[in-house]
Amino acid sequence: MPSIKLQPRCSGSAKRTTTASTPNNPLPALLQTPSGLALLELQGTINVPSGDEDDIDYSTSTDNPASTFETPIGKLMFPDYSVHNPDDTKWMKRAYMYVGRYQRMTGEVKKLPRPIAVLQRRQAAESEELEVVEIVRYKIFFKSRPEPVTTV
Amino acid sequence: MSTQASSSILFTHFRPQEGFRLLELTPELEELLTSKDAPVLELKSPSTALAQAVVDPTANDYVNLCTPTQTYRIRQVQSSNSLHILRPSHGEISQADIKVVEEEAGESGALNLPDEAVTAVAKCSSTLELHIPPGGFSAIPFLEKSLRLYDRRSDDDGDIAMGGSADSTSPLGFKEMRTVRENVCQDIPVSTAQCEQGWMQLCAFVDGAEEVACWRPSARSRLTVWKRLVEGAVLQGIDLEKQFLVGDLWKSVLDDEEEMEPPFPRGLLEAVVRRICIADERPPLADDIKWASFDKIECTQWVGETYLAAAAPTVSSAIGRSEFLRAWKDCLPETWRREAALSKLPNGCYNSPDPTTICFVEPSQRQPTNKTASAPATAAKAKNTRNWHELLKGHR
Repeated sequence: MPSIKLQPRCSGSAKRTTTASTPNNPLPALLQTPSGLALLELQGTINVPSGDEDDIDYSTSTDNPASTFETPIGKLMFPDYSVHNPDDTKWMKRAYMYVGRYQRMTGEVKKLPRPIAVLQRRQAAESEELEVVEIVRYKIFFKSRPEPVTTV
Repeated sequence: MSTQASSSILFTHFRPQEGFRLLELTPELEELLTSKDAPVLELKSPSTALAQAVVDPTANDYVNLCTPTQTYRIRQVQSSNSLHILRPSHGEISQADIKVVEEEAGESGALNLPDEAVTAVAKCSSTLELHIPPGGFSAIPFLEKSLRLYDRRSDDDGDIAMGGSADSTSPLGFKEMRTVRENVCQDIPVSTAQCEQGWMQLCAFVDGAEEVACWRPSARSRLTVWKRLVEGAVLQGIDLEKQFLVGDLWKSVLDDEEEMEPPFPRGLLEAVVRRICIADERPPLADDIKWASFDKIECTQWVGETYLAAAAPTVSSAIGRSEFLRAWKDCLPETWRREAALSKLPNGCYNSPDPTTICFVEPSQRQPTNKTASAPATAAKAKNTRNWHELLKGHR
């Protein structure tokens, strides 16, 4: 089949919002999207252990029966952001990402030159279909390497 | 201290990772996708047969993104940076793990991390970018390969069984014809509007007399239709420059004894009428063409080009200029004869092997002259781009 449909809307979005425990979106309002998805660009990459035995250990230690789990990496901070003054965009110039406790990257929030559509394979479609899950207009961008920090 | 705590967000990595692709949008696409009744887009690549028949010099394998009216080539751009997709999370990590990020974990008064967390659910090392090559996209090369050539001479008297049988006028419903046409366009990697534009340009039509098939008439067939159409209109007193019923025109084309055996399928007449009728009045391909009127100047131009394509398709078959002009005029209604002149022909559609002769130039062969003319424009445009493919193109 030489043609694949790209649906302009996400079929699963309704499902996702109805689940009772939708987590609160902690990001600054500018970075929040209806689906909650946001973009983070990094020079380099995040390496997490990929060993399968580790996975099983983690998943059995939590009560969650699903084999999903989260590995903590660090913290994100927008030091100049204030919820009381959302129209002021000066805070975008500074963002921190702590990797572990002793390393920190300095970055910023940038408006994308062109908006980016996040695409996903549509579930439960009889033929192969894609869908636009979200259109993202900003990214959190860390272009420098981590620096050591002694005190947080 | 409290403000700092509120803007500190736990950042985690989620497993299993999800599969996402990132597509950079053009302003038009963004508008389209965010509009209330956003259409379904298509990712199209040519069928294997078409990909071999219509070679794209710039890419072997390609996928085009098609909106209802526009086509974009998709280019995958790798990045050395990694793009992570974040999603809010409950930050459900074990107490032991919190030590990785927070010294005070577990003690009262520590940062309230688990409520404020985002997790990286996917990583993308490339994005998909869209671009339109300088020449744009056309369905015509693909249609020329997918449609059968209709080239029945009017003086063959029906010994070739092709759309000549009695019930060829409408053995196929309008809806069925549409389905047949859409099936052809399915394999053509451009937007529906561009497919329909190409279809209309070629005067393509669906005929179901013998078997259901899509045809593109040869220049000679198109000219035959035109000549019959003019004869019929003159006989029946139809003024082609004013609105007329296409049904009346069809009747005027049929001789008395031909009502049982039309000289060509009605679909072909309608396709030709659709091609040369005044563009503003042209109904969409999805609708039947009931009324039409012709513009003298545009019509004359089309007839001249079509005659040349039929009579002198190549350099070796070039014909005399005066002979061509005379024949061209003879194809036209009496009052239009003055409109025929070499200067009225579309740009670049003819070539002169020597000063007295003239021959047709295929549309695909005309591009080079167009390209050189527009090269400075693209070079200027390339300077503003951040894409090095385009930046370097101008320097070759």
